[in-house]
Amino acid sequence: MSKETHNDQTLQRYLLGALPDSEAERLDELGLTDDEFAEALRIAESDLIDAYVQNELSGTVLDQFKTYYLASPLRREKVKFAQAFQVFALKEASVQTAGLTGKTARVRKGAGWFSAVSDFFAPRLALQWGAALAALALVIAGSWLVFDNVRLRQEMSQVQARREVLARRELELQKQLETQRANNTQTEQELARVRQEQERLGQELKQTPAGAKSSREGSIVSLILAPPLRGASQVPTISIKPGSSQVAAQLQLEATDYSAYRVALIDPAGNQTLWRSGSLKPTVKGERKSLAASFRADLLKPRHYLLTVTGISGGTSEIVGNYPFRVVK
Amino acid sequence: MSELSAKVTEPKKDWTLTQRALRRLIGWLDEGAGSEGGKYLEMRQRLVAYFDRKNCAMPDELADETLNRVARRLEEEGVIESETPARYCYIVARFVFMEHLRAAQKGNALREDLRRESHGLAPFEADDDKEAKERLLNCLERCMGKLEMLNRETITRYYIGKERVKIENRRALAAELGITMNALSIRACRIRDKLEQCVRQCADKG
Repeated sequence: MSKETHNDQTLQRYLLGALPDSEAERLDELGLTDDEFAEALRIAESDLIDAYVQNELSGTVLDQFKTYYLASPLRREKVKFAQAFQVFALKEASVQTAGLTGKTARVRKGAGWFSAVSDFFAPRLALQWGAALAALALVIAGSWLVFDNVRLRQEMSQVQARREVLARRELELQKQLETQRANNTQTEQELARVRQEQERLGQELKQTPAGAKSSREGSIVSLILAPPLRGASQVPTISIKPGSSQVAAQLQLEATDYSAYRVALIDPAGNQTLWRSGSLKPTVKGERKSLAASFRADLLKPRHYLLTVTGISGGTSEIVGNYPFRVVK
Repeated sequence: MSELSAKVTEPKKDWTLTQRALRRLIGWLDEGAGSEGGKYLEMRQRLVAYFDRKNCAMPDELADETLNRVARRLEEEGVIESETPARYCYIVARFVFMEHLRAAQKGNALREDLRRESHGLAPFEADDDKEAKERLLNCLERCMGKLEMLNRETITRYYIGKERVKIENRRALAAELGITMNALSIRACRIRDKLEQCVRQCADKG
């Protein structure tokens, strides 16, 4: 079959009864015997009906459609079907649009025809459009509420976290304040003790003869003591010469775990504390850590003694080392 | 065709279509395609459209009359080899149509045709029975619901829009489906035919 026999215009004229009899008869036969032609004829007929329904026909063609094509009850049924079908197709498209399938543009463009043929159906479709828009609005509102809820929850969590951090910081500061207060108390006590010592030394100085005073001032015995080793049998010895007034002891420490220390001079024979220092700060030079303490030389007699070092931390204290030494004269 | 005409132009009023004759007719029209009656239904539909385009009053009856005569010939002859089934049907249909015309000229069918024609010339827009439209739309919804999802979307999108927009829509749809525009037209037309038949049956039930 030649395509020339069924171009759109020829088919349209055939359907509208406008072809000469001989040509119409040829197409009659093709309509029954040629599958391809029969298919093309159906499509052309659908297009013609749709064009009429969409007010796209005009002039002679429109006249022929009304006078010839619509003369048949069967064909009028086809037109009614097309009208209903186009309305239904628009409704389907509107539902798909509400479902955000991206067919909005096509539906909007088809609405021109829709308004022309669907006066009766208008309220029904308006209702459906309204429902679709309402559903869309609900979805948007719901999404916003969910989003806002999540945002508020996040903000609450952040505020809660900040509150916890601040509470921990407050506790730390409170502890530091208490420690500071305790240190202040110790410092005040230490200051009082130093003042008492100064006062006592002042009294002694007044009672001591001038010659003796000058000789004491000029004689200091230094004593360096290493950390006592376990099992060590050798005890350090110092010689106190007559006229020695002070013993300057340097005690080497294994570690400086404490911020302050005290040193006491013990007489092991009677387990008697002969002298006690105030709060001492350790000295660190490279890897060497030590404490410096000085006491009167006349406290010592030729025998064994013990210097005991106590670490002080907060309100507690602990003996961290005993330094034995022997005095000879 | 003259040989044929002597055998098929005169209807035998005492002959009725039997089950066996119908089966033979269906098998003959099928030509071994295994369409299970599809070819018979297709031919009947084409015949109805043929008589309708000729503005015959009752195209369905004339289509059935045509097929009855072909079945009778098959019964009588056992086989028809002179023409293809489709062409033979056309030849018989043409005789049936001419008989109808002669009868109309004699006045048997004339009054009916005139009545029908005058009805056809009445403004179509006047026929706006809201109840009928509502019923039609309900039937359409029901029939659309019976379609497969792909067919439903195809037919819906195929008929949306006007002029250039419609063409663009169809081009896009064809591209999505991976078929040519022509194949899409055929597919849409078949879906539409099926839908139209379903709606007609639904509307007839009331």
